Amino acid sequence: MLKNYFKIAIAVLKRRRFFTFISLFGISFTLTILMVGTAFLDKVISPDYPDYKRARSLYVTTMELKNSKEGWLNRSDVSFYFLDHYVSTLKNVEMMAISSNARTSNAYVNNQKIVIEYKYTNADYWKVLEYAFSEGKPYTQQQIDNAEQVAVISEQTKKEYFGDAPTVVGKYISADNINYRVIGVVGNVAKTLLSFAGDLYLPYTIAKDDYNKPGLMGGFNAVLLAKSKADVPKLKKEFDQMMKKVPLPDKEFDEVYCHADYFFTSMTRRIAGDGKNTGMSVVVGLLSIFVFLFLLLPTINLVNINITRILERSSEIGVRKAFGASSKTLVYQFIVENLILTFLGGVIGLCLSVLVIYWYNDIEPIENVYLKLNFTVLFYSFIACLFFGLLSGVYPAWRMSKLNVVKALKAQ
Amino acid sequence: MLKHLFKLIWNKRKQNFLFLSEILVSFLVIFAVFSFLTFYYQNYTKPLGFDYERVWTINYDNGRLTKNNDSLQTFYSNLRNSLKAMPQIEEVTYASANFPYSNSTMSTAVKKNGKRFDRVNFYTADENYDKVWNVKLLSGRWFKPEDAVGKNKSIVINETLKTAMFGNGSAIGQLIGDYEDKAKMKVIGVVQDVKTSGDYWPAGNAVFNRLDTGYLKDIRNVLIKVSTDADATFESNLYKFMTNNFKNSTIEIGHLSEMRDSKNEVTVIPMIIFMIIAAFLVINVALGLFGVLWYNINQRKGEIGLRRAIGASGNNVSSQLILEALVLATLSLVVGCFFAVQFPLLSVFDVPSSVYVIAMLLAVAFIYLLVFACALYPGKQASGIHPAIALHEE
Repeated sequence: MLKNYFKIAIAVLKRRRFFTFISLFGISFTLTILMVGTAFLDKVISPDYPDYKRARSLYVTTMELKNSKEGWLNRSDVSFYFLDHYVSTLKNVEMMAISSNARTSNAYVNNQKIVIEYKYTNADYWKVLEYAFSEGKPYTQQQIDNAEQVAVISEQTKKEYFGDAPTVVGKYISADNINYRVIGVVGNVAKTLLSFAGDLYLPYTIAKDDYNKPGLMGGFNAVLLAKSKADVPKLKKEFDQMMKKVPLPDKEFDEVYCHADYFFTSMTRRIAGDGKNTGMSVVVGLLSIFVFLFLLLPTINLVNINITRILERSSEIGVRKAFGASSKTLVYQFIVENLILTFLGGVIGLCLSVLVIYWYNDIEPIENVYLKLNFTVLFYSFIACLFFGLLSGVYPAWRMSKLNVVKALKAQ
Repeated sequence: MLKHLFKLIWNKRKQNFLFLSEILVSFLVIFAVFSFLTFYYQNYTKPLGFDYERVWTINYDNGRLTKNNDSLQTFYSNLRNSLKAMPQIEEVTYASANFPYSNSTMSTAVKKNGKRFDRVNFYTADENYDKVWNVKLLSGRWFKPEDAVGKNKSIVINETLKTAMFGNGSAIGQLIGDYEDKAKMKVIGVVQDVKTSGDYWPAGNAVFNRLDTGYLKDIRNVLIKVSTDADATFESNLYKFMTNNFKNSTIEIGHLSEMRDSKNEVTVIPMIIFMIIAAFLVINVALGLFGVLWYNINQRKGEIGLRRAIGASGNNVSSQLILEALVLATLSLVVGCFFAVQFPLLSVFDVPSSVYVIAMLLAVAFIYLLVFACALYPGKQASGIHPAIALHEE
């Protein structure tokens, strides 16, 4: 039966080439944009180099002080003192990666300016986050305690600063007129990972400003690693409990908020949330409204074309009905036909997305962000295909099944 | 004629419903695109109000500097003198971190006769700011050292704020209250609007506040205007000079022309992506409309044949079909405009209503053009229908 439907579908597609072209064009382009969009979202949301342990991690990024009467608000990254003094005492934390936000400086090599973003980190940072070392190794706790002037640099910095030198471990890199000894080289990190991207990583003990100033607000953020996935909710609870005991730093403010969030929540909070709200519903809601509106137009278009196409086939439908085919069979047949069309469009769309992604990676508009089509993306595209096919097939099929036999036959 | 067309459309209301909704949704998309484009274009055509070329910024941490006001004053005036002594540097100024194209904003509110003006950009600048940026004074003067003494603080405001506050009257010498309306500030000059957040965004209201000695401890950047022969060698020397002056601090030298590019990119790139998506949707819709119209005309061969047989010319037939499509589009556009007109009425997003009105007109014209173009070929085909053949098929 399916084989017959398939044959009919192909025959119909061949008959009206122009309509087939319109349908395939609409489906494939819509899917291409959806696929590239999901590839991008997937890049941002799912665990990615160097942050592979997201299932076990919670992210502490923002401290918010509020005066609820006047509506004043003060928001910044958290301080090293806060992480060291309060967060490190939590029982469920196995390890805590601390890093400062990236600061920019310049270096000059052969009369060329290099912009260097550098970060101060602790020793556990290298254990929690799985940076790929192409040579050398990270700094140890002892080197941090001794405040040694050592640095881990990114591949990009290595290339810009040292050119084509095969190994650079043991060489010195001069930034801010201080010579740091390079002890490791790591792979580049995507710029979208604000907390982890950098060109030069240094021990926090050699920071120029007083890193351990008492106070809640500062320039650091942390990744808390729980012992296991199951411990993450416990850790979250413990963190919230601890926040209740943190004393208010200033009489100006009467509320203090800081959260250990899951990765996605930490992002939505930064985009649309505040101390009280995660911003999750806003971000997800806006995103789905956008996708819905984006899909609406091609879908209406397809429904329009599909209706036109079936009306054209009214004689065929009339004959089939006259010979006793039930409405259900006809609806079934039409939906199958439509799904075949959608999947054809899907295959073309897949090829187009591969091209678009290839082109995107070639021009690299955001530094070190490379997209790839992986199985998650393929799976979502498949769902989108299915959804699209059903959505644009059901209404025309229903219209068709209502077709009156006598009228349909008379029209010829 | 129109009445007849309405009747024809009403008879096929079920079939036309999808057609109508398709045009409606595309109108809304096009309206959104044109709103953005009009807004950006209107701002783009306004003058920039300053020169960014050959302006460099030197950022540093001020945490390790002395907190003593007198020694800070000596330090900064020495720094200015040694910088100005370099042949490649033409002008030096200290300013708050929200200088043009930086990612920092500071805003406040000001009061005039009890009326509150919100979202006023608050810049702190010293006496040489106007020379580095080449800010154009419309009336009055820029800050002078003698402004340090005087009962009321001297400020310079921009044209937008001046128009909002004083209309066509003169602002010079007038007093303005701060956000609590307690301290009074005296306007000593009006400058042309300065588009600090890129070419595509409005300048907004702005107040320039004189940098006094109390602010020295908050300064984190020096802005310099360099001469044409300032190259990378000079930059690395300047860098070394600055690291020697600011021990234990991080120095970053930025070029304003590069900062402008990255500031504009933030606006332009999303707009390009949005336009690509919209263009794809429009092509999609155009092909769909074309297909449906073409098919409809093939279905109505009998009707068209009959009209031709009783004397209608080919042009009559094709103009009827095109007009029919345009009437259909009008129906959708009326509904679409109803939604679109809410934006200026409710003044959503703090954008001048002229933007929405222009965008609406452009979108209406665009949709008519699109429908007309899509109906043209099928209409022409219909005019070629021979009555004898068409009626014979019936």
